[in-house]
Amino acid sequence: MTTDLEYSPFELMAAAGARELKDGEIVGVGLGLPVVASFLAKRTHAPNLTILFELGVVDPEPIEMGVDGLSDPRIWYRAKIHTSFADMLGSVLHKGLVDVGFLGALEVDMYGNLNTTLLGDPKGKFRRFTGSGGGNDIASNARRTVITIRHEARKLNQAVSFITSPGYLNGGNDREKLGLLGGPSRVITDKAIFGFDPQSKKLRLEAIHPNTTLEDVLSNMSFKPIIPDDVPVTVPPTAEQIRLIREEIDPEKAYAGS
Amino acid sequence: MSKLSTLAEAVVSIPSGVHVALSGFATARCAMAFAHEVIRQGTKQLTVSQCVGGMDADILVGAGAVERIVYGGGSRGRSGQHFCLNRAIEQGNLVTEEFSSLSMTFRYLAGSLGLPFIPIRSLNGSDILRELQEKTPPLVGRLQDPFTGEDWLVLKPLVPDVSVVQVQVADEEGNAWILGPRWDNEEQSKASKRTIVITEQLVSTETIRRYPERTLIHGFRVSHVVHLPFSAHPSSVYGVYDFDKEHIKIYADASKTPQGLQEYLDRYVYGVDHWGYLEQVGGMKYLDELRADPILGY
Repeated sequence: MTTDLEYSPFELMAAAGARELKDGEIVGVGLGLPVVASFLAKRTHAPNLTILFELGVVDPEPIEMGVDGLSDPRIWYRAKIHTSFADMLGSVLHKGLVDVGFLGALEVDMYGNLNTTLLGDPKGKFRRFTGSGGGNDIASNARRTVITIRHEARKLNQAVSFITSPGYLNGGNDREKLGLLGGPSRVITDKAIFGFDPQSKKLRLEAIHPNTTLEDVLSNMSFKPIIPDDVPVTVPPTAEQIRLIREEIDPEKAYAGS
Repeated sequence: MSKLSTLAEAVVSIPSGVHVALSGFATARCAMAFAHEVIRQGTKQLTVSQCVGGMDADILVGAGAVERIVYGGGSRGRSGQHFCLNRAIEQGNLVTEEFSSLSMTFRYLAGSLGLPFIPIRSLNGSDILRELQEKTPPLVGRLQDPFTGEDWLVLKPLVPDVSVVQVQVADEEGNAWILGPRWDNEEQSKASKRTIVITEQLVSTETIRRYPERTLIHGFRVSHVVHLPFSAHPSSVYGVYDFDKEHIKIYADASKTPQGLQEYLDRYVYGVDHWGYLEQVGGMKYLDELRADPILGY
C-alpha cells in the first residue's frame, strides 16, 4: 500500500495526467504541469510516447526543466527533431495525428471550453492574459484533450468569459457540427478528476482525490457537474512516480512549485 | 553581392507605417537590437506580426512604435506576461488581430506560396474567431470544399513588407542557418517582400556552399545583413548564448508600468548604440557567462 506516502497536490495531478497517456501515442504538450506529466509517463508506462512542443521540438530528453516555458532551450535538449510550427501544428496536429493534447487553462466551463485570454478581477475588470498560442489549435485538432486547472470557484465556471479553445461549446453535438476533431476527455484539478457525459457532453465527476470530500469539490465550483452514484478515490502516485518527479524530472521544482 | 549593413542602415530602410514580421518567440531569438534601433530612430505606426509574442514585439509596443499587432498570443513563462502588449490592448491603444499559433503559420504559409487564401480547422467555435469576424476589411471567410462539399473556414494570407530574422550563422549575401527549433521563421521570411538578417556569426559564402542543405533563409530574398553579436540579448540564441534571466527580470519589473518602461528605455536604449547597451547590461565579462555549452545548446 502507498497510503502513507507524502505527496503534493502537484505530484498527484502529474501522476493522474501521466495515466491519461498510453504507450505509443503522440502527445502535444502545453506549458506547465503537462510537461512534467508527459515526461513522467514516458519514464514509466509509456516509453514509446512521442512528445511534441508546438514551436518545433520532438521527443526531447531534458536534464533540466528550465523556468521559461516552451521557449527555454533546457526542455529542447536531446530532441530527435528540431523543426517548425508548420510541421508540429500543421503536418502532425492539423493532419489529425496527435492522439492527446495536454493543456493548462485559466478558466474552464461545464462543457470543457477553455479560456486563457481574459480573466475578471474582483473589481469586475477584465485583464488580458496569454491568449491562445498553440492552445486553440491543439484543442481543435487533437483526438482528445486533457486539461489541468486549479480547483477554484472562479476557475471552474458555468460559462467561460472568453472561449480561447473550444471544448464541446454548448454541449451535445455542437462540436462535431463545426468539423472540429476530438474534444476534451479529462479535466484534472487539485481536488478531483472529471470526464464528460457521452451524450450531453457535460462535465462528470470521475474521481475525488484522497483526503478531499465531495462537499469540498462542489463548494469550490461555480456549477454542479454530473455526479455518478459511485465516485472512486483517485489512485495516488506511487513511490517511484514521486521519486522520478522529485529527483529526475523536476528536481529544482521549476514546475512543481507553481 | 554583399548586403552587409550597419544596424542603423537596415532600420533606415523601414519607413513608418509598414508591416514588419519579427522572429522572436517569448524569450528566444527575439530581434532586440533591431527593436532598440527602431525605437531610437523613432519609426512609428508599424504593423508587427509573429506567431507567438516575443520580447521584441513587447518593447516596440511599449515604446509606442506599433499601431497594429497581428499575433497568436503569448507570455514569457515564469518571467511573466508581455506587460506592454497586454496593457496596450486593455487600454485600446493598439489595433489587435489575435489568432492562434497555427492560424498565423498558415497565413504566412499562404503568403509564402502566393495563395489567395488557406483553409483551417482551428479557430472554429472560439471567441478568437468571433472577434476576427468583426474586423473590416475581412481577415477570415468561409468556403465550400468543391470536392467534398464541406464548409471550411479560410484565412487571408499574410505578406509582410519585411521580415526581420535573428539567426546564428549567415554569409554577406544573407544565406542563413537557423539552429534549433525555428517556429514560424521560415514561412515568415518566405511570405515577406524582403528579409533583413541579423546574425551572431558571419561566415564566408564558401562555408554556405559547403552545407547548402542547411540554408533556411535564402540570400536572394534578403536586403540587408547585419552582423552583431548578442543582438538577441536578453533572449536566447540556441547554441550561442542562454537567455539572461536577471536582465529579463529587470525588464519584466520595469515594463509593469509606463513610467518604469520609460526609465528602462532611457537607460538601455536612448543615447546608447548596441555596444553601449551591452556595456549597460554588464559588459563582456558578464555576457560571457551566458555563452552556450556546445552540447547543451544553452
